[in-house]
Amino acid sequence: MKLSFPLFLPCSRPKQRWGQPDAAERPRAVFEGTDMAKPAVIVVGADKGGVGKTTVSRTLLDYFNANTVPTRAFDTESPRGTLKRFHPDVTEIVDMTATADQMKIFDTLNTATPSVTVIDVRAGLMSPALASLRDIGFLDAAKAGQITFAVFHILGPSIASLDEIAETASFMTGAKYFLVKNFINNTSFFEWDQATYNSYFHRIKDATELTIPKLNEMAFEQVEVASVPFLKFVANKGIHDEAANYSFVLRGYVRHWLANVWSEYDRIKLTDIVSFGAGKSAIRSGEK
Amino acid sequence: MPVTFVYIVASPRPRVGKTLVGRLLSEFLLLKDRRVTSFDINLKEPSLLDFLPDVTETADIIDTFGKMALMDRVILNDGMAKVIDLGFHAFDEFFKMSQEIGFLKEAARRNVVPIVLFMADIDRVSIREHEMLRRQIPAAQFITVDNEFVVRGELPAAMAGGCIMRIPALPDFLKTYVDRLTFSFTDYLRQETDSSTELHQWIRRNYVHFRELELNLEKQKS
Repeated sequence: MKLSFPLFLPCSRPKQRWGQPDAAERPRAVFEGTDMAKPAVIVVGADKGGVGKTTVSRTLLDYFNANTVPTRAFDTESPRGTLKRFHPDVTEIVDMTATADQMKIFDTLNTATPSVTVIDVRAGLMSPALASLRDIGFLDAAKAGQITFAVFHILGPSIASLDEIAETASFMTGAKYFLVKNFINNTSFFEWDQATYNSYFHRIKDATELTIPKLNEMAFEQVEVASVPFLKFVANKGIHDEAANYSFVLRGYVRHWLANVWSEYDRIKLTDIVSFGAGKSAIRSGEK
Repeated sequence: MPVTFVYIVASPRPRVGKTLVGRLLSEFLLLKDRRVTSFDINLKEPSLLDFLPDVTETADIIDTFGKMALMDRVILNDGMAKVIDLGFHAFDEFFKMSQEIGFLKEAARRNVVPIVLFMADIDRVSIREHEMLRRQIPAAQFITVDNEFVVRGELPAAMAGGCIMRIPALPDFLKTYVDRLTFSFTDYLRQETDSSTELHQWIRRNYVHFRELELNLEKQKS
């Protein structure tokens, strides 16, 4: 599915200005950060469905919430988004093929809060989405340091999925590229075959590997049924913070799993990446 | 706020007297509080369920359902003491699960006090697991049970520190007597008029140990 982006992105922020176009280039908007943290965009994508993309997006939203980082999210699984079901207050469902929705995401990047935007890209649309970001000058802005841009590429257990790494990496200059191995489905990502593994995972110089460990299946399903963020499930709370009655065992499994996932985010200094250096010293709310 | 005690009688080895201690403890609690819930997690050994069917339920922790059925009840502060006779086959999985789900921390939050009664043995597996658990569990809640019928001498040095409960060995004929499915320690105390018999002294001594253990823990909690 081909995405279309407008040639011009109207802006409403006083500091945003139009760059002077080169003859051979289309006009592009230039994004500038404010005196506060520069805007950060995290794209979570995968080449195919069912690899845990939205699960990872949910852990990111919980992580930023616990680190008191104001965050918003866009769920591109229009019209019914899974991410919105779990994080309704911060998530909007958008259609990435529609210009109006594209403007909704990128024209508002420079608002003061929230300055972190998580975009859960529909499966199979990551490469086209990145190509479009390149076309509107977004990737150049990231390269120029005006925006923090990171891609969480959720890998699947197939050679086709691993082939996508090289294709995605071509967009990643100036951006943070994370290869996410999600073990939630008992995959092995060819770790048993070192030659294959190295040819994909060690070929991209600046890519960082992240591991999402396996979560107990029943615990995962119970969270699904509860339709609450992982953090609220651990805290035994409903969607409106009312007391719930979830299983202590399943809450324990989710707590343990989430702590391991967050350890990975701590390891890559995610709060620093999104320019909340103070997040390191911020007290995490909720349980870790 | 009331406290609920959860006694976990455990060993990574079979035939060290877990069920014997489980029986003694369950009957003591039944005598003292008039109620107890015991959980029997054994596959093949002579089990608590056979001796105390009225207060014992079977449990397994092979799958998540079983873990939920056991632990979601054990974590409740309902004032009813619980005894878990943890079969050796389930030892590793139980403590791994407990650590993963944060059992000790949640128990502390709810005023539930887990107490591990580790049945000592002289082999390397026991010594290693004893050391591992001693690092995880608060000292006052970790009791090394020196069953003299099993250890037959000094406890291994690695097990010698901390709280120790000694259970003297019974002569073989008395052991056979108490191993009958119909035997009840409390009924024997009530029915035996001669309190100087070896078995009478043995049962009373163990009951006193349990009472002292509970009093010490209650004192620490308050």
